[in-house]
Amino acid sequence: MKKDFYEMTYILNPVLEEERFSELVSFVNKLIEDNGGEIVEVDEWGVKKLAYDIDKKSTGFYVNMYFNAPAPAIAVVERNMRINDDIMRYLTLKYDAKMQRYYELRKKGDLPVIFDDADAETENEDDN
Amino acid sequence: MINNPSHPKKGNLKSKDCKFSKAGVEYIDYKQTDILERFVNDQGKILPRRVTGTSARHQRQLSTAVKRARFMAMIPYVIENLR
Repeated sequence: MKKDFYEMTYILNPVLEEERFSELVSFVNKLIEDNGGEIVEVDEWGVKKLAYDIDKKSTGFYVNMYFNAPAPAIAVVERNMRINDDIMRYLTLKYDAKMQRYYELRKKGDLPVIFDDADAETENEDDN
Repeated sequence: MINNPSHPKKGNLKSKDCKFSKAGVEYIDYKQTDILERFVNDQGKILPRRVTGTSARHQRQLSTAVKRARFMAMIPYVIENLR
């Protein structure tokens, strides 16, 4: 079956023990693998402050991951994640050609620089 | 934002060029919150194209990126004004 490249970010309930986090991460990974997907990269960002409260919590445990999966798997994975109360938010994106090129660049670490902060500082000095 | 030296509304907009086109950006990632925050005013609203000089294509990408970042609680929907 044709597989697409996906990115998924999800937020776990922060009021859990350390072991539960890794349990939940492997739960999600297993869910994807059981539905014919393969994990490419999993990046745990750890507990971060949220910009606004979700379910009366001001922090969340962020996990960012990349995987290949057939399209029907996404519906199954998302349904299971919605049911799980410890997963507060999730966002799945299908990567098109441009986004995949961006992903390759990011892995190599030469993303295009949009703001040259060094320049901005010298400009400010001129103003003074 | 309000203390942001490169904030476009603080008269720092030197060129009307699109910063994304200039840098050759193909996809604006919602995870790069430091970039997104520069295109948002101090209430958290997305700044218009006429202020930032962003090209139409990149403004569309930017707005989806900001909305995704808001959904994932990386940047706020609204910032309360302190009076």
